[in-house]
Amino acid sequence: MLVYIIRRFFQLIPTFIGATMLAFLISQLVPGDFLTRKALEPNVRPETIERMRAQFGLDQPMAVQYVRWMRNLLQGNLGQSFVSNQPVMNRIARPMRNSMYLALLSILMLWVVAVPMGVYSAVRQYSLGDQVVSMLSYFGLAIPNFFFAQVLILLIFVTRSFTKDAFDFNQLLFPVAGMTSGNHLTMTPWGKFWDIMWHMFIPSFVVATAGMAGFTRVLRAQMVEYLGSDFIRTAKAKGLGQGSITYKHALRPAIIPFVAGIGGLLPDLVGGAGLVEVTMSWPGITPTFLEALNSQDIYIVLGLIVITTLLLMIGNLLSDLLLAVVDPRIRYN
Amino acid sequence: MADEFNRDPQETEAKDFIAEAASDQLEAVTTAGPIMAGKSKSQGQIIWEQFSRHKSALVGGWILVFMYLTAVFAGFLSPYGLNEYRRSPTASFRPPTQVHWIDPDTGRLTRPFVYDVVESRDPVTRQRVYDEDTTTKFPIKFFVRRPSQPYKILGVFQSDLRLFGVDDPARVFLWGTNNLGKDVFSRVLYGGQVSLTVGLLAVWVALTLGLLLGGLAGFYGGFVDDLIMRLVEIFAAIPGLFLLIVLASLLRDPRNPLAQAFGLQMTSSQTYILIVFVLGLVGWGGLARIIRGFILSARELDYAQAAKALGASESRVLWRHLLPSTASYVVVSLTLSIPGYILGETSLSFLGLGPSEVDTSSWGLLLRDATARGISIQFVPWLLIPGIPIFMAVLCWNLLGDGLRDAFDPRKRR
Repeated sequence: MLVYIIRRFFQLIPTFIGATMLAFLISQLVPGDFLTRKALEPNVRPETIERMRAQFGLDQPMAVQYVRWMRNLLQGNLGQSFVSNQPVMNRIARPMRNSMYLALLSILMLWVVAVPMGVYSAVRQYSLGDQVVSMLSYFGLAIPNFFFAQVLILLIFVTRSFTKDAFDFNQLLFPVAGMTSGNHLTMTPWGKFWDIMWHMFIPSFVVATAGMAGFTRVLRAQMVEYLGSDFIRTAKAKGLGQGSITYKHALRPAIIPFVAGIGGLLPDLVGGAGLVEVTMSWPGITPTFLEALNSQDIYIVLGLIVITTLLLMIGNLLSDLLLAVVDPRIRYN
Repeated sequence: MADEFNRDPQETEAKDFIAEAASDQLEAVTTAGPIMAGKSKSQGQIIWEQFSRHKSALVGGWILVFMYLTAVFAGFLSPYGLNEYRRSPTASFRPPTQVHWIDPDTGRLTRPFVYDVVESRDPVTRQRVYDEDTTTKFPIKFFVRRPSQPYKILGVFQSDLRLFGVDDPARVFLWGTNNLGKDVFSRVLYGGQVSLTVGLLAVWVALTLGLLLGGLAGFYGGFVDDLIMRLVEIFAAIPGLFLLIVLASLLRDPRNPLAQAFGLQMTSSQTYILIVFVLGLVGWGGLARIIRGFILSARELDYAQAAKALGASESRVLWRHLLPSTASYVVVSLTLSIPGYILGETSLSFLGLGPSEVDTSSWGLLLRDATARGISIQFVPWLLIPGIPIFMAVLCWNLLGDGLRDAFDPRKRR
C-alpha cells in the first residue's frame, strides 16, 4: 500500500509540470501584458515600467521566466500581484476560503438529500415517488446553474414584494447576494457565523442541485443492481428485515463509489461553484479569477490555476486510496 | 458546469459496456432457446425498435427537431432583425406586448391586435411606466415583407418575408425587450443558431481528436500510449471551467497572434469558430480515454486477431475493424456530451466571453442582459426567458442520449 502511494505520488510530478507548463504557455499568448497597459498611464514614468519589468523578470525569454516562476513556486512563493503589489498568496487565500465554505455546505446538502432519494427510488422502483425523483433529477441535470440562481433570485424578490405589507418577511427569507450583511462587523462571532450560513444557503443549494441529480441517478442504478443480486435473496431467505437488507446489505456496497468520490470533491471545494458565485456575487474564486484575467494580473491567474490543479490531482489520488480502504475487493500491488 | 468537464463517469461505463457486450455474446451462445420462426431482424432494425419504444427519448428527439427548425427559420419566424432597435423613441426594457383578442367596442372576439405603447416615468420612484395608447388599433399582420431587414436562411436563401408583424409606430415584443430595446423573442430565435450548433460542432472537434489520439494510443501502446495519455492527464488536471475561461478570453483578445492572423478584430463568425475549437480542445480527453480503453480490450478479441492472421495491415485492422466496433458507444457518449458543450457555450457567453452582443445572439448572452449593473430582476423578469430554451435543449439531448444508450445496450432489451 505504502509503495503504491509513493509510486502514485511520483507519477503526479510529470503531470503537474506539464499542467503548469501548459498554463504558463497559455498565459504568454497575449503579447501585451499588464505593464504595457500601465505604460499608457500619464503619471507613470518609463523608468518605473522598466524597473518593474526587470523586477518581474518580464524582460527574460519565456523559458527563463518559467524556470524562475517554477523555482519560486517550489519555495511556496506564487509571485506578486501586479495590480495590488501584494503576494499572490495573500490575494487568493480569502476567496479560496469563501469558495470552500460554499462547497462544504453544498456537499453536505448533496449527501443529506441525494442518499435518501436514491434509496427510496431504488426500493420503490417505478412507483410515483420514483418517477418524481427521476423527473427532478432530469430537471437538476438540465438547468444551468447560473440560470437556476437567477430564477431563485427572482422568486425571492417576488415573494418579498408580495408579502411586504403582511408582516416582516424580509427577515425570514434568504439573502441572494454577497456573503455578509451590512452590519456584519458589529456582530458577535456566533452571529457572524449564522450571518454567513444564512447568505450561503441559496448559492449552495444551487450548486448542489446538479450534483444531486447525478448522484441520485447513479445511486438508484447501483441499488437496483445490488437489490436484485443473489446475496440479497439469501439475506431475505434467512429472514432479515427489509430495513436491514436495504441499509446494511444493499446500500453499503452501492455507496462505495461515492465514498471514494469524496476525494474527487476536493477541487469542487475550491473551484466548483463557478458561475453561481458570479451570479450571486459570492466573493469566491471564480469572480477573483475573472477579475484578474480582466486586469491581466497574470500571476494571480496562474496561482489560482496551479492551486486548483494541485488540489484536483491530490483529490484524484485520495479517491483512489479511499476506494482501496473502503472496498475490500480492491488490492493494490 | 465545471463538473461536466472534470469528472468522467463515462469511462467506467465504457468498461462495463465492453464486459456486457462480451457476456452478451456468451449468453447468445449458451442460452439460445428454440429456433425463432420467421425472418430475423437486422441489428439496425432491433435498435430502432427498441428506441421507438422509449417514449421520453422520442419526445425529446421531436422537441429537438422543432428547436433546430426554429433556429434554421429564425429569420422568418421572428418579427424583427437580429440587431434591430429604434434609437428614438427607445424601447428599453419593454415588458411583453399585450396582444388583444377582444374588440373593446363590440366586446367580441376579433383578429389579434396591439396598441402602441408610450413610455413615461413614475414621478416618485422614477421607474419606467408603459401605458397603452388605445386610440388606434394595430392589427397583427401575417406574412409581412420588411425590405429594410432582410435575412438569410442557412446562409444562402435571402428573403425579407416575416411570419408576423405590425405597422409602425406600434411594435410587437412577445417576450419584451432588453436594455437596448432589442426584441427578446427574435433574439432568442437567432440565439438558437449559435447555442444549438456550437455543441454539435464542438463534439465533432472532440471526436476527431479523441478518435485519432485515443485510437493511436490504444493500438500502438508503449511510448505513444504513454505520451498521449500524459497529455490527456495534463488537460484533465486543469479545472475545466478555468481552462475554458482562460483560453476563450485570451484567444479572443485582439492582441494575440492568432487574432492578428485573422485581422485585428475578430468577426463574430471567427469568434464562433474559436469557441467551437476551445470547447472541443477542453473536452476531447475523456473521449480519447474511452476509445483507448475500448481498443485495448478489442485488440485481443478473436476477430481482430483473425484479421491480423489473414494478413491485414495494422492500419487496416485499426480503421476497418477496431474503430467501427466503438461506433455504438461513441454515438451514445457523443449524444450525452452535447449538453455539456451547450452549457459550456452558454456559460462562456454568460460571462461575456462568447460571441459579441453587436452582431450575434446567444442564449447565454441574453441571460447576461439580466445581470447588467443597476438592474433588479423583479422589474424585468422577461429577461430570464432565454434560460428556458437552454434548459429544454439540454434536457432533450439528455433524454435522447439515454434512449439511445438503452437501445444499443443488449442487456436492456425489452
